[in-house]
Amino acid sequence: MAADSDPETEVFEITDFTTASEWERFVSRIEEVLNDWKLIGNSSDRLPIEKGEYTRSTWEEKSQEINFADFKFYITHYVLVQDQQTEDVKDNVEEDAFPVAMQDLLCMNNDFPPRAHCLVRWYGLREFVVVSPGANCEAIISESKCNLLHSSVSIALANSGCQVPLFVQVQQKWRKMFAGECQGPGVRTDFEMVHLKKAPSQYNHLSGLLDIFKSKIGCCLSPLPPVNIAIRFTYVLQDWQQYSWPQQPPDFDTLLGSEVGGVEFGKLPFGACEEPISELHLATTWPNLTEGIVVDNEVYSDLDPLQAPHWSVRVRTAENPQCLLGDLLTEFLRLCSRKESTEEVLGRRLGEDEGKENADISSALSRLTEPAAAVPISKLSVSNMVHSARKHIRRHKRNDESPLSADVLNSVLLYLFPDAAVEKSPDSKNKTANTNSSGKSEQEKQSDHNIFLQLKSAPSDSLTYRLALCVCLINYSHGGLRAVAHLWQEFVLELRYRWENNYLVYGLTGGPPDLRCCLLHQKLQMLNCCIERKRARDETRKAQDGNKDRERKVSGSTNNSGSHECPTLTPAASSTTKEVSPGKSWDSWSDSEDEFFECLSDQGEAEAPQPEGEKEVNKSKAEGRLHPYNNMTLLHSAEPLYVPVTQEPAPMTEDLLEEQSEVLAKLGTSAEGTHLRARMQSACLLSDMESFKAANPGCVLEDFVRWYSPRDYVEEEEVDEKGNTVVKGSLSPRMKIPGNMWVEAWETARVVPARRQRRLFDDTKEAEKVLHFLAVQKPADLTRHLLPCIIHAAILKLKDEEVVEDIPTVRKSIQQATSQASKLFSPFNQDHKKLEDFISQLISMEIAITRARSLKAKFAVSEGEKAEDAAELENFVSSLLEEPEVVVLGAGQGPAGSIIHRLFVSAQRAALLSPLDEDFGNDRKQTGGSNKVPDFPPPAGREILLRTCVPRPAPYSKALPQRLFCVLMKEEFRLAGAFSLDTAFF
Amino acid sequence: MEEDILTTLKILIIGESGVGKSSLLLRFTDDTFDPEQAATIGVDFKVKTISVDGNKAKLAIWDTAGQERFRTLTPSYYRGAQGVILVYDVTRRETFTKLDNWLNELETYCTRNDLVKMLVGNKIDKENHEMDRAEGLKFARKHSMLFIEASAKTRDGVQCAFEELVEKIIQTPGLWQSESHGRGVQLTDEDAGNGSCGGYCSLV
Repeated sequence: MAADSDPETEVFEITDFTTASEWERFVSRIEEVLNDWKLIGNSSDRLPIEKGEYTRSTWEEKSQEINFADFKFYITHYVLVQDQQTEDVKDNVEEDAFPVAMQDLLCMNNDFPPRAHCLVRWYGLREFVVVSPGANCEAIISESKCNLLHSSVSIALANSGCQVPLFVQVQQKWRKMFAGECQGPGVRTDFEMVHLKKAPSQYNHLSGLLDIFKSKIGCCLSPLPPVNIAIRFTYVLQDWQQYSWPQQPPDFDTLLGSEVGGVEFGKLPFGACEEPISELHLATTWPNLTEGIVVDNEVYSDLDPLQAPHWSVRVRTAENPQCLLGDLLTEFLRLCSRKESTEEVLGRRLGEDEGKENADISSALSRLTEPAAAVPISKLSVSNMVHSARKHIRRHKRNDESPLSADVLNSVLLYLFPDAAVEKSPDSKNKTANTNSSGKSEQEKQSDHNIFLQLKSAPSDSLTYRLALCVCLINYSHGGLRAVAHLWQEFVLELRYRWENNYLVYGLTGGPPDLRCCLLHQKLQMLNCCIERKRARDETRKAQDGNKDRERKVSGSTNNSGSHECPTLTPAASSTTKEVSPGKSWDSWSDSEDEFFECLSDQGEAEAPQPEGEKEVNKSKAEGRLHPYNNMTLLHSAEPLYVPVTQEPAPMTEDLLEEQSEVLAKLGTSAEGTHLRARMQSACLLSDMESFKAANPGCVLEDFVRWYSPRDYVEEEEVDEKGNTVVKGSLSPRMKIPGNMWVEAWETARVVPARRQRRLFDDTKEAEKVLHFLAVQKPADLTRHLLPCIIHAAILKLKDEEVVEDIPTVRKSIQQATSQASKLFSPFNQDHKKLEDFISQLISMEIAITRARSLKAKFAVSEGEKAEDAAELENFVSSLLEEPEVVVLGAGQGPAGSIIHRLFVSAQRAALLSPLDEDFGNDRKQTGGSNKVPDFPPPAGREILLRTCVPRPAPYSKALPQRLFCVLMKEEFRLAGAFSLDTAFF
Repeated sequence: MEEDILTTLKILIIGESGVGKSSLLLRFTDDTFDPEQAATIGVDFKVKTISVDGNKAKLAIWDTAGQERFRTLTPSYYRGAQGVILVYDVTRRETFTKLDNWLNELETYCTRNDLVKMLVGNKIDKENHEMDRAEGLKFARKHSMLFIEASAKTRDGVQCAFEELVEKIIQTPGLWQSESHGRGVQLTDEDAGNGSCGGYCSLV
């Protein structure tokens, strides 16, 4: 428009835009945008496009909103990002060369790109601008509106001198109708389009389309310059016939029917339940034909797909095929948000039924919270429980359902507690709790180990891990929430049974709770610690019973367990801080009274030694010696210095630890706080001192320090009165500070061997705490506890499956997912959404693997007839998985090609012949013209591209590129033409 | 006040008994030195807020007892630490040679493997050095730690040690941010179906 006329215009001439119409404003707006995007000027300085560049390189697009009055349009610029844009080409460019778009019309390097904007496919353009109606605006349908829009861009191009083709989208969006224009110096290309539902029969073949093309060009030259032809036929294979999807959904019922079925609980199901590859598209291409070489008309066609020089294949994958592992995880995660408690889920029914003849389950649970002592329920073991479970199954057959069938429960419990299968003789008690399996290589172990650490799950052979697998499977296929609640109840009962009968829990590494594992695992380890301590104590007592025939006061643990302790989780420390009496305040963590580390021996003996009378204590009374310490002797006697038997420190789970650090931290940073903290933690020191005193009658603090903190005993050489050099030692200055805690503790410490001391670790109480903790976990809590383990198991499963198929992209995703997983379970935010996302990532990996599996089955990769073919097929399949379109080497004659051919043949036969005369392979040669069944179905789509370079509109005009792209499909007929003309004299 | 604190960091101080762990801590938090610092029992705890590069960080520093017997107790407190100061006494070689044990202990009990470690050679004010600075440097390099020699008594290097450690932790974002914006794993096609014409399309 007149807006930017040259500056020479006289200044006094006022240019008036006040009455500019909406239309004028719209046009100027388009120009502005073209200007902003720097699309103005000569565009012919680009490098020619190389073969396949449209697919390899990236496309950039940017978009902006513009308005025609109040109607919203989007103007979008699409451009191929070319790697090298050398400047030196620029010099050679003629002033009035064709715009680059016109050159692209004839370029043959990127016909039929596998993935590109439709305008790229139709017109071969590397850069263009599209004006299309805004998101919620109606389509431009009426002819006058279309013309108006078309004129707008035409004017804008002329005004701005932009050489980039500019399109407008008209008609309904799904029709993909575009009209456009490209203007260069003295030349113009019009982009026109025809879109019909059905191909008119006279144009349904090459010769008809050539007629259209020629008449459209309207060239009167003779002979006409040759028309270049490129053809692509696309065939779709949907029916896989004998390659029916190999994956069978696992049959959970038979799996559990057998006695050894329980083993199967260790395996997660995997794979898709339906064919993950829905379609195979074969594109047969004749890239460069000349008119007259091929015949394709109403009655006859030379275009036999088998003879096409170029084949390529793409696969269409099923959207969200149902996958077993994915389903399992999703269901499991869903369980996390259930609010019901175990009792709510199971109701009272179970308990009522059983109360009469068996130990009542609900009362077994409530026993944790009720102070009253209970009779040890020796009846409850795995076998008993299974037995009882069977009983009420039988009963429930009458009055409806039970959450978990006896068989299932039986196999699950056997899987979880394999040691229960062996009859529990006293010998089997000594079986170690450790399990060690798998013959994996070190490296694998290392990486598996990393997953375990990152997820904070549990070792893959541990009870916790197995429990996770069971809960997951039970939830998925044996009754959901109720079954999970049932299993959990039985699980806790079994643990209680083991605690009360001194059977170690099978499948946990010994020692204190491993803080790197999930809390539930720590709790189970804690319970094992308790059982171990209790058992050791009971055994010592038994031994003592045998030796001594004295009267003794039994403090048998089962009898007074929980007698007056409510299993509260309040930090025991808080009570200690308030204590004033020095004597009492040393008894730090444990509140329980008369429980000793090894409760035995008569009381009289324990009371005999007086704290003050250390030196007088008879040597023979030394107790609880472990071994002599470094040949040292006591400072005030010739007795060897003995390391005493000491109490083991209390094992802790992370929640207890958290509480304790909080308590310690809360004491503040003042000197007083420090002092209190030290005092609270000195129980262990005090106990060690008492043991030391008992083991070394006649010892002094110096002796203790020499063992306990050797650097605090300073030795110096001195010359004594006789002139001999002697080594004289003394406590370090810090130990000599009057009233320091070490001295204070030493003075308080009585002479008591560890076994008669009060227990630092109250296993009875801790075990009850653990059992209570377990019992009050709702199914959803349990799920959350086990989630890291199940994710861990899923990742391992994916890894295993991937190794079989060897898919690099999936391997990479697994690695990424693993490293990302550590953030999932950070204690600060358990984000449900993130978990969902994570699981869907795992699902997509599963799908990718099943796709690979499906393709490999179809292309018979494993059956490899010839070694080189096998390698080629393998490459072919892996490219199919990662690339949008894959070239078939050797087209119809190559190894992949012949398999594809066979696939089509059998699909055709299945579709067209009766099942009886299915004999393959005898007559392969038969092709299109034969009266038998054709090898290929009619093409789902035909694309025919016609190109030439002729003068238009007059014979004396410049020869310019002309192009017509035809798409023939069952439900669509489209002609996309680009016709250039010389505008010099017209 | 609380708002401008960027983060709270948990720092551990570990090392053999008598190398001056508590003295270092006391010098740092209270700027005092007590030659008769009592031997720590179990763990002790101090808090200090410091500012590094304009970022305020609240340090919760856990001081531990070095005695062998306490090692059954103290490692439980290693959980969740972002930084650790390993202290040895330059006048006692054996406190240096035991460092390997301490590193093992860290390895075993720390919940994260990316925590920042600093090696501090303490008591450089004393004369009878048994340890060369170079040896400390070498060890620190081998185990990718920060290294400094210090004296709690003369305050040499103490402030610096803590500041360096904190700075390093803050520079390691994953370490102190409770949750960083996770980068997702992309498996799906990004360029499926957008654009004005209904997207990039193939024929069928």
